Parts: sequence; structure tokens; C-alpha cells
Amino acid sequence: MNLPTREQAGVLIVSVSGRIDHIASEEFTRALEPLLTGCVKGKASLLLDFSAVDYISSAGLRVLMMASRRAKAQQGTFAIAALQPLVQEVFAISRFNLIVPCYASVDAACKVVGA
Amino acid sequence: MFLSVIRAGRGRAFPLLLLILAAGLLAYPDMQPLLGIREAQFDHYQRVLPRERDSEPVVIVGIDSQSLVKLGQWPWSRDLIAALVDKIQAGRPLALGIDVVFAERDRYSPEILAKHIPGMTANTRASLPDPDEKLARALKGPPTVLAVVGLSKALPGGRHPSKPLPVFDQDAARDRFLPHFVSALASRPVIASGAAGEGLINATPEQGQADNQRGVLRRVPTLAFVHELPFLSLPLEMVRVALGTEGSVQTEEGPQGMQAIRIGDYRLPVQRNGELLLHFGRSSSNYYLSAADVLAGMHDPEIFRSRFVIIGFNSTGLQDRVVTPLGESLPGVDIHAQVIESVLAGQALQRPYWLPWVEMAVLLGVGLSLIAFIPRLRARYAVLSFALASIAMLTGGYLAFFAARYLFDGASLLLLLCPPFISLLGNTLITAETLRRNAEAQLQQSREEAARMNGELDAARRIQMGLLPDTARLFPDERRFSVSALLEPARAVGGDYYDCFMLDDRRLCVAIGDVSGKGVPASLFMAISKTLTGTLTRRHAELGTALRDIEAELDRENPEYLFVTAFIGILDVESGHLDYVCAGHDAPLIVRNGQLLSIDTRDIAGPPLCAAGGYPFESAGMQLQAGDLLCLFTDGVTEATNGTDMFGSDRLRAAIATCGTVPVQDCAPALRNAVRRFEAGHPPADDLTLLFLRWHGPTGAQD
Repeated sequence: MNLPTREQAGVLIVSVSGRIDHIASEEFTRALEPLLTGCVKGKASLLLDFSAVDYISSAGLRVLMMASRRAKAQQGTFAIAALQPLVQEVFAISRFNLIVPCYASVDAACKVVGA
Repeated sequence: MFLSVIRAGRGRAFPLLLLILAAGLLAYPDMQPLLGIREAQFDHYQRVLPRERDSEPVVIVGIDSQSLVKLGQWPWSRDLIAALVDKIQAGRPLALGIDVVFAERDRYSPEILAKHIPGMTANTRASLPDPDEKLARALKGPPTVLAVVGLSKALPGGRHPSKPLPVFDQDAARDRFLPHFVSALASRPVIASGAAGEGLINATPEQGQADNQRGVLRRVPTLAFVHELPFLSLPLEMVRVALGTEGSVQTEEGPQGMQAIRIGDYRLPVQRNGELLLHFGRSSSNYYLSAADVLAGMHDPEIFRSRFVIIGFNSTGLQDRVVTPLGESLPGVDIHAQVIESVLAGQALQRPYWLPWVEMAVLLGVGLSLIAFIPRLRARYAVLSFALASIAMLTGGYLAFFAARYLFDGASLLLLLCPPFISLLGNTLITAETLRRNAEAQLQQSREEAARMNGELDAARRIQMGLLPDTARLFPDERRFSVSALLEPARAVGGDYYDCFMLDDRRLCVAIGDVSGKGVPASLFMAISKTLTGTLTRRHAELGTALRDIEAELDRENPEYLFVTAFIGILDVESGHLDYVCAGHDAPLIVRNGQLLSIDTRDIAGPPLCAAGGYPFESAGMQLQAGDLLCLFTDGVTEATNGTDMFGSDRLRAAIATCGTVPVQDCAPALRNAVRRFEAGHPPADDLTLLFLRWHGPTGAQD
């Protein structure tokens, strides 16, 4: 899985795209791994731009949960922004917005999690 | 044992041994069957490309059947021969060769006549003409050459020829490869005195003659020694005497003996023993004249001018016939004509001393390449590479012949390479066969393993399904509510679960859960979750506490960080009051009087169990109305896909809305069927679980 990154206002923004289902979730985990390594206290916050994610399954949610746990353990900041309505609905039902901070847009997120 | 021998050295040792044997055979090429193959190959070259015979430098005056009929039996009187010679000499030929040995006195010589006529006086005898002398005089015209037969042992009547090559490099005389005759059959000195030269007419029949009874003439000697004196063959001697003083004879010596012979400016490549590999042309009768016709003056003498003329036998009774590589049977005298043509064209077949070494190098080169590469190739490419090598060797032979008349023996090489190749190919096939058997064995093994795994998965599935209550038989006499559930894992086992049981007389607990992921890992976590749900909801009076406790227990040992969404409800079947908790699960739907509602979980729903940890779950309550239909489901329904779209909550709501009056036990299968129809053969995205509950009211009613 290709995860293009860019930096904006001290935030490392990662563009995620496509369907994160059972099969894609393993690749998603591997692609996220090196980014999470750098998500520690004092370093840039890690923000996943979900504007191009069409669907996320429970396996995909699990990847986010584990990423969030790891960031928390490293005292880094991890957040998600710009969820599509369908994905937003999944987050709402599963209450994952309680686990990973979700923001309406990348700009809104940067204002909060930016340094 | 045998297999292990031929497969030693990764199957290369045995082919190498065969190649060495082949090289040994090639070093002795004059053994059958190689000799036969080689000669057939070389003969075929000549048949494909016989020598062009565009000019006719030679005329043969044949002593043919017609001549014998007209002029009487052979041997003719020498004065008749002298008359024939005179007729020919009148045309001033370049040289005249006579393929006849005049070894004895003529029958009509005065000495012999005197014996037959006792009363003959010495004067009479002296006045009689001597035919031998007449012939000797006739021979003194333009240069003539008489025939000599070399003998390997002395015979009665043997006589050394008197006209050896005048100037010759004596070093060659010691050459051990050239033929040496101890004796010879030559013409009488009185006749030979008139001739310009004497030439050998010995042929060199092939060694295979005795074996195949076919005596094909392929090579003729050019130079031999009689009693240590050098003599050319008859046709070469004719060329030499025709050249006169310019006709000096030289040999070209190479490291392996003679390579070529030069007569004046003419050069012929020869074998080391001086033999000429004659390139035959197609026979023709154009240049044959009958001796009788010549004697009768039927031909203009001009026909002989500036030509070589040979007198020889051409009649059925007298001639020696030879078979050529072209498959033609010719009078021996024709060979002399072909030799003269070859000398004048400087053209002969070439098999120089280094050519066998080239063949040996090709044999070893191709053989070693085959040994090196064939074990690495698949059988089809092994055969292809050998075929290409064979074609290259055979084609190379033909090209060498067409280009410069070289005799390269590709056929023998091909034959000699066959045993090593067959051995190599055998190894390749044996290896392939072994691999195939191994692969089959492995396939069988993995099939058995898969079968075993399937068996275990089947067992796991039976156990998992056994964990779930059978709603059809759960509450046989219950009139206050009816319940029906269904679970279909996406794989053999899954991570969904449901439960329903009575906590006491009036409290019914229903639960549905979905472990993240699917398959075996989810199924194990599902078993724990389902068990804990049952145990802890029974233990705690308050649902929120129960759920917090369930999460705490699940979190205790969860190294894989799996999480579970869950909805648990407790229905007071007398009052219709529903208490419920929600952990990240879809809100269940309610069909009430044809209207679709969903249970309001917004305020109390927490994240899935084990996702956040320690979330303070709270319960909420609502009042059901008699006839309400509750539908609990997992995302295996909403996320079912047909490749492009997902089933989605809209389709789900539409499907459930139609269930308002349907008997509960039919609701779940109907919805499941709707989902499967939508999937249209696409594999299920996730485990699918449905639980329908209809509350009939405190007094009970029937659907």
C-alpha cells in the first residue's frame, strides 16, 4: 500500500486511499509501521488523511486502534481527518471517534494537533 | 547398482566415458561401420554436386564390340594398332595414351612365325616386317604414353618399365606413404622406346570392397614407385608429356606427407599417399569413338587436334568396369579421362591432414557442451539443442563441400554423439520423472494435510455452532415472545456470536457480538466473549456493570489486541421494558406497526470491548409495545458486497420493514436469502448474524 506523506504546520500528513478491508488491513499495518516508529513525544504529529478512503472494515479499525495505542504509549500524537460519510458512519457506530481523535478536515486537524 | 553407475557425477560421468569411446573410434576412421557411413556421406556430396563437365578435353578411342566384330578377336596385331595410332596422330593430339600393356611379342613377329614355319630361311625371316617395330615407329609422333601395371610381387613375365620420371625430387621417393611396387608389367622395350612416357594404370579400390562387394572407386593414385623409380599414373603422365619441357613434376609436402602434386603449372590436391580423391562428373558417351570407325577414316582427324586421346577397351567382353560414387558403372578408361579433366581444372576433393583434427575438435566440443548443458535443460530443450547441433554439423559438411570440395564427415560425428546424448537425455528424463513423482507425492501430502485441516476446521465449526443456542427449540411453550437467530461464518469458523436465555422467569437476555476479523483467530475470541457475556450478565444485576466486567475480563489476556462489538439487551417479558448496553455495535432496528425505528444507543454506546479499555459503559432503557419486532444484526449484512456496491443499511431497513407481520422463525432466513441474492455469488465479506425477537405482550399472543 502506497502512503504518500507531506508535512504541514509541523504535522506529518499521510494520505490513505481505497478500501481498508480484511485483506488490505495487513498491508495497511505494514505501511503504517515506519510512520508510527517516528510518532513519539516531541516529534511531528501523525495525521491520517482519510478523504480518499471509501470503506473500512473491523479489521481496518483494529489497525487504527493498535496505531492509536502505540502512539499513546510513545506519547506521540495520532489523529484522523476528513472521513467520508460512509466511513464516518462506521466510526460513529463503533464509537471509534472515542478511541482515535477524528477531525472534519486536515486544516481543522492541523490547527489542533499542530505544534 | 546400474542406475547409480550411469548417474554418477550428476549423470555426466557415463556420457563422458561414451564420448571418450567415440573419440577413440573417430581416431580410427577406417573401421566399419563408421567407414560405410563416411563413404555414403561423401558419395552423397558428389551426387548432390557432381563435377561440371563443360569442356571435353579428352577423346576416347574405344576398342568396342563393333571393332571386335569388324577387325577380329583381341589381341589385335600390332600393325593394326600402329594403323590406329597413325590415324589418331594425323590429327596432332596433345598426347595419346594407350591403356594397353604390350608385354609379349606380337603373334606375327618374325621369330614366332619362324617357329610355326620350319622351312623359313634366315633371309625370308629378316625380310618379314616386325609389327612391334612398326608400332614403335608409329608411337614416335606426337607424345604417347603406354600403360604399366605395378605388381606387389614378382610375376613371370614381369618387366620394369623403362621410362621413369626424368627429373624428380628424390626425397619424395623415400616417402613411406607412397605406394612402392617391387615389380611391374610393362610393354616390351622395343615398343616403349617409341613412347614418350609410361604411366601406371593401377586403381585403388576401396578397402570395403571385400566386405560390401561393391568396389566403388573413389580414389586413384597419382604417383608410385616401381623398383624405387618414380612413375606417374597414365593420365598424369599424358599431361606431363603434353607439356613437354614445361611439364616438370613436383610434390608439395606437408607435416603428414604429400599434400598436392604439381605438373608444370597444374596443381592437384592429393592425400598423403599420393592418392587423388576424384570428384566425379556425370558420365557421357559424347567423347567415345569406335576404333573401327577411326580406322575406317569415318572421322576427320581434326577431331583429335589439341585434345588428349586415350585408346582403351570399351567392349563388354574385355573392359574392366568400375562403379563410381555417383552410382554409375563406367569403363575403367573413363577414369583416366576424368583424371585429366580434374588436372586441367585443378579440381579434386580435399581432405587435408588437418580435417580429421577439425572433426575431432567438433566431436569433443559439441560432446562436452552437451554434457555440460543438457543436465541443466528440460527434456524438450535438450532434444532441440541436439537437433540443432546435428543440423549444424550436417549442414556444415555440405557447405564445406559446396564451397571448396572439403570432405567433412558430419554424419559420423552425429552417430558418435548419439550414445552420449541418449545417456544424457535418459538422465534428464529419469530426473524429470523423479521430480514428477516427488511433486505428486508432495501434492498428495498437501492434499492429505488440507483434508486433515478441513476435518479439524469442520470439528471446530461444529463445536462453535454448538456453542450457539438453537432458538427453534429454546422456548417451546413460550407465548410472551418468540425469538429466532441465524449465524453464517464467512469461513469455516467465524468471530460473530449471539445468545438468548432467560435470566429468571420474566427476564430474557439477548446478545449479539462481532469480534474484529474473521476465521480461526476471531473464532477463539468469540468463544471467550460469548461465554463471558452469558456468565457475567447472569452475575450482575445491572447491565452497564456487567459490560464493564466483561471488558475487564476480556482485556486480561488479549495479546493480539482483538476487540468485540456487542449489543446486550434484557427484556422484561411481562412489562415490555428493555434494558440495553452497546459497545460499538450497530443499533438494532425495531418494526412497530409497520414503522421502522432504531434503538437509541447514541448516548450510551461506547467503543468496542477491548478497543479503548476501561470505558464506563452505561445502560439505557426503553418501553416496547406488544407486537414490536426487534432485529439484531452484524456488519456481515450491511457490508455484504456484489463487487461494486455494499448491501448497506438502506437495503437492510427495506428488507426488515417487510418482516413486520412475518412469523419470526422466517425472518432471519428471508433476510439472509436477500443478502445472498444481492451478493450474486461473491464471497461473503464477513460473518453474518441475525437475531429476531418479537414481544407479544404480557399475556401473550400468537404470530
